[in-house]
Amino acid sequence: MAAPLYTTASGLLFHAGKILILTVGLPARGKTHISRALERYLRWMGVKTQVVSLGDYRRKTLGGAQKLPPDYFNLGEKSPETMELRKKVSDGCEKLIWDFFEGGGQVVIYDANNGTRKNRQTLAEKFDKAGIHVIMLESVCDNKEIIETNIRNVKISSPDYRGWDPDKAVEDYYTRIRDREQSYETITETTWPFIRIFNVGEKIMVNNIRGYLQSRIVFFLMNIHNRFRTIYFARSGQSLIEHSYKADSDLSPGGWEYSERLKEFVLEKRAKSLEQRGFNPSDRRLVIWTSTRRRAHHTAWPFLSTASASSISQSSSAPTDGVDHPTTTKAAGSGLNVKVIEKPQMSEINPGVWDGLTPDQARKFYPEEWARFVKDPYAFRAPRAESYHDLSVRLEPILIELEREKEDLLIIGHSSVIRCLLSYLIGLPASEIPAIEIARGDLLEVIPTSYGVHSQAFHFWDGPGRRVDAEDGEVELGYLHKDETNFYENYAEDTKGKKRVTTIDIASLSNGVGEAIDTPQRTESP
Amino acid sequence: MEDHNRVHFPRVSSQELTKALGIIEDMQASEGVIDNTLLTDRAHPPVMFGAGGPMLKQFDQSTASSRKGSQAPTPPRSVVGIGNKVAKPDYSEAKIVLAMVGLPARGKSYLSNKLTRYLKWLEYDVQVFNVGQLRRSRARQKALQSGIQEDHTSSYFSHDNVEATKSRDQLAEDSLEMLIQWLKKGGNVGIHDATNSTRSRRAKIEVRVAKEKGIQVIFLESVCNDPAVIAANVALKVSSGDPDYKDLPREVAQRDFIKRIKEYEAVYETITEPHLSYLRITDVGNEVTLSRINGYLQSRIAFYLMNLHVKPRSIFFSRHGESQYNVDGKIGGDSPLSARGLEYANALPELVRKHIGDAPLTVWTSTLQRTIQTAHYLPYPKLTWKSLDELDAGVCDGMTYEEIEQAYPDDFANRDEDKFNYRYRGGESYRDVVVRLEPVIMELERQENILIFGHQAILRCLYAYFHDLPQADLPYIKIPLHTVIKLTPKAYGCDEERYTLPIKAVDTHRPKPSSSQLEVPVASAAREYYGKHT
Repeated sequence: MAAPLYTTASGLLFHAGKILILTVGLPARGKTHISRALERYLRWMGVKTQVVSLGDYRRKTLGGAQKLPPDYFNLGEKSPETMELRKKVSDGCEKLIWDFFEGGGQVVIYDANNGTRKNRQTLAEKFDKAGIHVIMLESVCDNKEIIETNIRNVKISSPDYRGWDPDKAVEDYYTRIRDREQSYETITETTWPFIRIFNVGEKIMVNNIRGYLQSRIVFFLMNIHNRFRTIYFARSGQSLIEHSYKADSDLSPGGWEYSERLKEFVLEKRAKSLEQRGFNPSDRRLVIWTSTRRRAHHTAWPFLSTASASSISQSSSAPTDGVDHPTTTKAAGSGLNVKVIEKPQMSEINPGVWDGLTPDQARKFYPEEWARFVKDPYAFRAPRAESYHDLSVRLEPILIELEREKEDLLIIGHSSVIRCLLSYLIGLPASEIPAIEIARGDLLEVIPTSYGVHSQAFHFWDGPGRRVDAEDGEVELGYLHKDETNFYENYAEDTKGKKRVTTIDIASLSNGVGEAIDTPQRTESP
Repeated sequence: MEDHNRVHFPRVSSQELTKALGIIEDMQASEGVIDNTLLTDRAHPPVMFGAGGPMLKQFDQSTASSRKGSQAPTPPRSVVGIGNKVAKPDYSEAKIVLAMVGLPARGKSYLSNKLTRYLKWLEYDVQVFNVGQLRRSRARQKALQSGIQEDHTSSYFSHDNVEATKSRDQLAEDSLEMLIQWLKKGGNVGIHDATNSTRSRRAKIEVRVAKEKGIQVIFLESVCNDPAVIAANVALKVSSGDPDYKDLPREVAQRDFIKRIKEYEAVYETITEPHLSYLRITDVGNEVTLSRINGYLQSRIAFYLMNLHVKPRSIFFSRHGESQYNVDGKIGGDSPLSARGLEYANALPELVRKHIGDAPLTVWTSTLQRTIQTAHYLPYPKLTWKSLDELDAGVCDGMTYEEIEQAYPDDFANRDEDKFNYRYRGGESYRDVVVRLEPVIMELERQENILIFGHQAILRCLYAYFHDLPQADLPYIKIPLHTVIKLTPKAYGCDEERYTLPIKAVDTHRPKPSSSQLEVPVASAAREYYGKHT
């Protein structure tokens, strides 16, 4: 890690120059998923990155498939008009790529099929001549299930199939793929550096990849997957000395109660959503990450005691050879397969000399620092403290592990850490990180999809430690308002621009800040 | 879910909580806590929850009744005292056989040593099973017992020498067997350091490992096409006291070794088997091919190897100059340099120029002012790393060891007992520091000449990485003030030089108590010919 997330005047990092990544692969092979994930990661590192999607561009300029001539996707001879149209689309995309590079961009991921050698060669030569480093990124998929899921989840909801019967749409899409398969040439040429990914991250092959940014890209790609999973975020329970980092105090009675409620709510919620998708909840492991702070890993304690209680009841009936053996967990019916991992990198933001102070005290004793902090809460580092930037850098290895984790994941963390991780997943710009509100008593559910993530917040608990707005009038216990002075867990919430993360529809993600191409009609959120 | 796990908290507990929170307020408001003299002196409030202050202990005691904990059968420990011990992360699910592939003198041992050091430092249990070592130590034993001196010159390595080939195959198999047994006993990564140069040999390894559930094999091929590098490796091999060439004149040894390489070349097959999981490193760091690499640890190994290079370079470490807190005997803090510390900062440019010449150099500092001040006069590009900040002593920050011992004698003894695993309350352990330094190590591997101004605990961790020192000794490594340590990576370790400036400074080293002055084992850049596992 050099320093991810730093910015330079030129906007280019790592002295890596400009990079064009050409995706290669048949339709429905997860190219878009990979491209978007990579874009998100590189942007998080501060690299100006852009996905240029041929399909999206075509839909935007020419409209859905119904508006296209019938031979547009077919194999064989095409009419001159169709050729003209196809050329128009690819020229348009190329122009977008040039524009982005000229505007100071560093990495472009060209999300298109690029299925023929000739086509790739011409394109690569063109950009190579301009001193742009070209990398091929081939996505190969021989797992029928992945392809089918991909078609059902992504392709047939595209405007190309508006109003179609789903099964007919799938059938039609398969025809489209079959035609392409005939002319498809996998990468055998070694002229250009390439990365070949099998079944979205199952295996990876790398040829002639050099350079730091490139090796990071490979490392990242080695860790992604598209297995269905859910990531939950919840804050730790209230602790006895809420406003001190150093005291590292234990949970308060209210905090213990919260942790029991959290366990019940998560298990119930997860069981429901897994059953809806046809999974047996006891087949799948729930992984819980907490920080090494007492309030965080003690909040996970009820999960562990439930799991150990259920494994004790099993061990009498069947000899267990490990908790993750599917038959043993099924036998118990309610068996909970859970693993809790404490991660030292996930401690909350360190408030430095402001530890233990209320915002008023901080303002009073450190007026200059306070003024700078309010001006730029992301980058400002109080004496001995961490800025949100420092925190983001510290969390980088966690992001990779987050991508890598295949099981359902519950992150019991601190508001500052959840803010950073959530911003990464959603793709928010760094400056917005400090302003995200993470309320205690809300469970955030994040489901990765191929265009980004789908996220939702569920409120499950009210009690000591939850922020309650004064006008709510629901403050029944006298000490509740004290949480507002809990400067420490709510570090930076005193600044303006509160942003509540609730249901974020997918459209707003792929049309996010700085996006040149939008993906129309992807607004249907479940 | 069943209801039996539900916990019903009595109403009374919230009242207790109110009381507990009230106590904090009372304490904050009371005259006794905020020392007025301190306030006027610094215009800043004192640290509220420092271990030495009255609040922490008082609070812990006053809220003891409300720390009931969960109703779970075995509730976690609640907070008492100022620190606790942390356990090693659970790596029990990672089990890998890493089989090296490559001709002699292609840097296989270099790569396997580097990797061992890195993974060990990350607390994986790693061991190298070197077939050459096994061969030599068995031959030595035989020679000692029966007086028969086996012939291990190049003819032994010829493929036409049927008997020797059989014996070499047997050695490789035994070594693999030892490796697998070791993995089953709890190891994480066993490195099979042999030439494994033919398809049939690799197929044998594959078949053997496939019999073990939960163990995966990956091959790591080291290819080297640069004749100069090979020549240097050969020269190193014959000049560094290899027992295979004991009592032989150098030229003879060299000729024999080259002949041995020729014997291997005759049958060498590079990895082309499409189903194998492998990494190929060409000319260390120049080119990397990954095939069928999956799994977390595997991807980390790959990323690490992709970042290595073998260009000659040096890494310089220095602690900041003596700080005001050093003089006062306090730990942590962000104090400026003392007068002697400033003297050190002033003297540094000349010292550095003397030892680096005109070569390019980058200076790294932490974000604390004592390192930034120390680097102030150096005319090189500088980078500031938050990750290089000193170990966070949490509630003990800014206290002297005597004060800590007085306030929390039990905890203090605890730390002495197992310093690596001891985490200060609200702060860090050495283990936490190792985790946070991992990206720094990765970046150090990529860079060339670097001068790091760090802190005692930080430099101990980095130093232990470069010298492969064991965890238990790590917190006792001597890193004196006003000394520049120069490490030059070599094939089997690092060469070290120390330049101490004649500027006096306090000694901040605390030796391991109740044991005779523990000397950290002297690191060596020499190759081991017999190994420890026999």
